[in-house]
Amino acid sequence: MRRLLLIVPLLLAGCASPAWNDADYGKKAGATAEAAASSVALVRLAVEHEARLTRPYLQTLLTETATALGSVDSQFGAVQPPSEQAVEVRAEITELTSEAAEQVQVLLDEVRLREIAEPEKAAADLAALADRLRAFAERHPS
Amino acid sequence: MKRFFAVTLGILTAIGGFVDIGDLVANALVGSRFGMSLAWVVVVGVVGICLFAEMAGRVAAVSGRPVFDLVRERLGPRAGLLNLAASFGINLLTLAAEIGGAALALELATGIDYLLWVPAVGLVAWLVMWRVRFETMERVFGLAGLALIVFLVAFFALGPDYGELGHQLTHNPSDDGAATYWFYAVALLGAAMTPYEVFFFSSGGVEERWTRRDLGVMRANVFVGFPLGGLLSIAIAACAATVFLPRMIEVDTLGQMVLPAGLAFGQIGLALVIFGVFAATFGATLETALSSGYSISQYFGWQWGKYVRPREAARFHATLLVSTIVAVALILTTIDPIKVTEYSLVFSAAALPLTYLPVLMIANDPDYMGDRVNGRLSNTLGTLYMILLMVVAVAAVPLMLATKAGQ
Repeated sequence: MRRLLLIVPLLLAGCASPAWNDADYGKKAGATAEAAASSVALVRLAVEHEARLTRPYLQTLLTETATALGSVDSQFGAVQPPSEQAVEVRAEITELTSEAAEQVQVLLDEVRLREIAEPEKAAADLAALADRLRAFAERHPS
Repeated sequence: MKRFFAVTLGILTAIGGFVDIGDLVANALVGSRFGMSLAWVVVVGVVGICLFAEMAGRVAAVSGRPVFDLVRERLGPRAGLLNLAASFGINLLTLAAEIGGAALALELATGIDYLLWVPAVGLVAWLVMWRVRFETMERVFGLAGLALIVFLVAFFALGPDYGELGHQLTHNPSDDGAATYWFYAVALLGAAMTPYEVFFFSSGGVEERWTRRDLGVMRANVFVGFPLGGLLSIAIAACAATVFLPRMIEVDTLGQMVLPAGLAFGQIGLALVIFGVFAATFGATLETALSSGYSISQYFGWQWGKYVRPREAARFHATLLVSTIVAVALILTTIDPIKVTEYSLVFSAAALPLTYLPVLMIANDPDYMGDRVNGRLSNTLGTLYMILLMVVAVAAVPLMLATKAGQ
């Protein structure tokens, strides 16, 4: 029984529930944007202070974030858009999350090779992206 | 002077040993989402653990037997078995979480994937439990865990907005609903009152051969050491509330949780906090693994403990080994150790009455305790806490399902 109690929530947490209508889909898209914005804001914070952090730490942090962004993307991607309008919403949020994943991946590659080439520019780009994600989340409150 | 040194050492060990993966995860997560609005739960939890740990320590010192050695005798084999099943299952889950936490700390230090560290952590933990004296083991990892004080210092160095944090104590800054708030309150209480803490404290007292003369030292450890350990928990939440909440960053990995120390003190702060996290989680790995051995051996009446040679307590040591292997295997399935921690906290909360009711009953039994039974204050507080723990136990799993584990 105890094992069952453990498995049920794990399954619940791991599965993406379907969207019944546009409003529901919008909420899920908003939650995805919020999660991605949180990850991007974290990476921005780390990049701003990268000179004060160790390389193994930064590498682990960026790897975790890249994984988290990939997971957010795939979980939302598993939800079927219920209408044409929802397809447009999906295109917009997918573009943003893909851009976030790409930026973090570039930073991770730089850290793996040596160090972040232009930390100030990277931080500014991340800040702009986080703002766009937050704006999207505000338009689609979860 | 020697006595003063022993008391101070005991208190420092208690502070350093108080925080484990559950406290780290729950406090950082709550601080980043709810600011300081759940700090009151840590206070409630610390008062509760002090109350029941003192009872468990007193039982060990007066009767010379740990509480759970007496559970079967006092409550009968069926109630004892229920208690054993619940506590052992949760203990195993907590052990897996601690091993995962220690491996994650090593990943943060080296950049090498934590899964590669998991078997090594399990092996070294088993070797330490096999070879190292109980007191040495407890002291070394307890004192090393004091490195987590860096969270407290970092909090002040980060230049927090004290007014805002003070405001959060009474106003929840999060948009999350009431169910999510209460889910995290339950998890935080589970973290502060994790069942293995009393198993270990009580059995540890017997390992160290406490007598009535040690009651003063035991109480100093509990009433000074544990609250200061609780202060570290609040510092972790305060750091998260200062760094992450204003930036709307929700933390969910160990790497993110230690970032405030790095921001405050650079690489030295980062090295200290990672060392502290490793010491705390590795120390808790030993405590939870030993607690598994203690609970099983004490229920079945086997010889147990590190105060006898391993060959004289073969089944106890076999239980330690098997528990460690099972926990390592669980983490090697690639299940997220932080998720394991979160679920272990909720299940801990659900089983709290099963752990603490026997402590209250035995501490009140004059057959075992003679003139050292609970006083009126302990009984009043103990009864109030039992009511609270029963409410928490009933609410824990429904809250988890209703909020999809706080999502």
